[in-house]
Amino acid sequence: MSSLVGFLSLVFAIGINFYLFLSRYIFKFQKQKFNLFIRFSSLLTLLSFFSLMYAYVVSDFSNYNVFQNSHSNKPLIYKISGTWGNHEGSMLLWLSILSIFSFFFSFTKNIEDDFQKLTLIIQAFLHILFGLFIVFTSNPFLVNSILVNEGLGLNPILQDPGLAVHPPILYAGYVGYSIVFSIAIAGLFQNTDDEWLYVAKKWSLISWTFLTGGIALGSYWAYYELGWGGWWFWDPVENISLMPWIAGLALVHSLMMVRGEQAIKKWIVFLSILCFSLSVFGTFLVRSGILTSVHSFAADASRGIFILLIFFIVTGFGFLVFLLKEPKKSNTLNLLFINKVSALVINNILMIIATLTILLGTIYPIIIEVLHNKRISVGGPYFNATVIPIMIPGFLLMSIAPILSWQTNKINNSKKYVLAFIILSVLVLIQSYFLDFNTWGFVGLLLGFWIILASIIAIFSSYKIKINIKFFKIINPHVAHIGVGIAIVGITCSSVFQNELDFNLSEGDKFNINGKTVLFEKIETTNQINFQSLRGKFLFDIEKNQSKKIEAGKNYYPVSKMITSEAGILHEWNKDIYFILGDQKNNEWFVKVLINPFVSFIWLGVVIMIYSGLIAVTRR
Amino acid sequence: MNRIIILTPLIILLIICFFSLTYLLSGKDPNKPPSALLNKNVPSFESTSLYDTKETIRTTDIKNRKTLINFFASWCSPCKIEHPLFFEIGKKYPELYLLGFNHKDPTSDAKKYLEDDGNPYDFVGVDADGLIALEFGVFGLPETYLINEEGKIIFKFMGPITKDVLKNEIEPLL
Repeated sequence: MSSLVGFLSLVFAIGINFYLFLSRYIFKFQKQKFNLFIRFSSLLTLLSFFSLMYAYVVSDFSNYNVFQNSHSNKPLIYKISGTWGNHEGSMLLWLSILSIFSFFFSFTKNIEDDFQKLTLIIQAFLHILFGLFIVFTSNPFLVNSILVNEGLGLNPILQDPGLAVHPPILYAGYVGYSIVFSIAIAGLFQNTDDEWLYVAKKWSLISWTFLTGGIALGSYWAYYELGWGGWWFWDPVENISLMPWIAGLALVHSLMMVRGEQAIKKWIVFLSILCFSLSVFGTFLVRSGILTSVHSFAADASRGIFILLIFFIVTGFGFLVFLLKEPKKSNTLNLLFINKVSALVINNILMIIATLTILLGTIYPIIIEVLHNKRISVGGPYFNATVIPIMIPGFLLMSIAPILSWQTNKINNSKKYVLAFIILSVLVLIQSYFLDFNTWGFVGLLLGFWIILASIIAIFSSYKIKINIKFFKIINPHVAHIGVGIAIVGITCSSVFQNELDFNLSEGDKFNINGKTVLFEKIETTNQINFQSLRGKFLFDIEKNQSKKIEAGKNYYPVSKMITSEAGILHEWNKDIYFILGDQKNNEWFVKVLINPFVSFIWLGVVIMIYSGLIAVTRR
Repeated sequence: MNRIIILTPLIILLIICFFSLTYLLSGKDPNKPPSALLNKNVPSFESTSLYDTKETIRTTDIKNRKTLINFFASWCSPCKIEHPLFFEIGKKYPELYLLGFNHKDPTSDAKKYLEDDGNPYDFVGVDADGLIALEFGVFGLPETYLINEEGKIIFKFMGPITKDVLKNEIEPLL
């Protein structure tokens, strides 16, 4: 029953959007009626989504999708997250988020009625495309042809609280760019005043903040669930999310800077189209299964072709409109050797080069396989060697960019900065000398600390310190950059100075990590609701009264016959001690211990960036 | 000039779509990479028999005859699934030389496995340390290779072969 409600409301929602789309040409109606229809179709799409969720919650195995991906033994939270833990459901989530964005956009004030209407018509067009994709190739409401009373289970690797919320937040970022895209295209068609730029800024900040959160959750999940000790693997699916993130960052910066310059406006439109195109391209790459990755999604050629078509239509349409209706050029940019505008231009160029570099590395295997029928994989070494050096000048620049002037080359307090930089360089050099010297370590630490330091100097020397909301809004750009600096320090330390120790241990053995004695207590197996768990129990620092417990092991999910590894992590503020339990041989267990310094800084940096994103949304 | 810059995104879009579409239409499965060894000479190997350590087999021994090489192990359950098919192949194509490589297996386990399920192979070579599999680029067990008379690999299959694979992909080459 719920499946029928879901399917009908989905079809009905698509129908309404079709009607709205035609309204531009045939039946014209009032703004209020139009908005009412948009909201109604959004609610219908959500109804469809929640019908599917309901089918998951009550384990309605007469729905084929629920049968394939759920199991009545599963805890409730994973039944709910099972709704989007599969291809069909996740596409419905995609569409629902698109609808939510349209819904809220219909309430926007301060913009012309026609402009708002046109934006929503483009949204309706996107809704139709993706809605038809779901109905024809990925229908989550198919009826199960056989009578069953148990389901086939959810991919156990997805049974994790972090991952349950990761897709909706990531999608909110991806799909949020749809509204930015629609605004930009509407802006091209209507060429009105610059008011739309402020609206676009708000929405692009919202999308970017969600995307940041989504990517961070995904990385954090990979860090403790995959058991490889790292948090970023340059996996195609990660790259796909990174591209719109970087392009979105360029967009946000351009939107902050724009003061009516036509050249920047043109660039903003370009970036808006690019961000959403990259989002759709990412959806295509993931959903067609064209790339292999840790995210094993079902491959299906017909789906792939359909969604490639959508990508082609959306991107082609966007850039074609951009080509035909480009904003008129009038005043030129006020480019100086070093002022705000030139810093912005350099930063944007670097970000676009980085995005294209990642794009090339991601699709290169496809091109090679088509041309040579050879499988190659492009991984970490390529991206580390290309993307990081491209970004370095940008990082250097960002530390001082917020205090640069618009009109002159002058930097206020430049002596302070030079002095601070020299002192910092010496300190980092001394630190590097006493630890193992590593070029990347040196560069990363210097950059990270320099960004933090320069931002702090800028805050203290440029503004009067007051503790109120307005002050926090003013210093927000610096705060965001401090977040980046902290994250860079964390990234550098955890990757360059990671330490790996391997042990072969029997139960009861003691071993040493960084001068602390660790006891390998025992191996314990228990039966949980939907899996069996095997845990190695460790006591860290047994000489102290309050020794800490660490559990590392594996879970076995009998329904799907899968084993997942569960790393045991001891979090300290300055390092994570990461235990991985390996295989057993002759009564000895292979235990790998990774010492990851300052990983917590990465997450702290990200949290600060998200905070800044939220603050920036409220600032005009 | 300006026009060309604005056209660039559309050109890139066309290139990406062209390659993606070609890829999708060619029916490639990203989970089954094409073998780098296809149409190349069989890697050189030397192995001893599972039953008699004095008896050896070398690359040169399989020259001038069609050979089906199968990597298997007693601990590999998908291998059990395809196992009976090798009896069928052997019966239908007596000319075909069936060479099994026992991969990272204790000798006693391998012998017991072939005793219980039967031994369809003309020769069972031992690959105790997995070095031969490494030469062949084996991803996971089981894997099957067809070598022609000139010593070139003309077919490779990852995972257990099925009746369909046998009929549609292997038999046309025999």
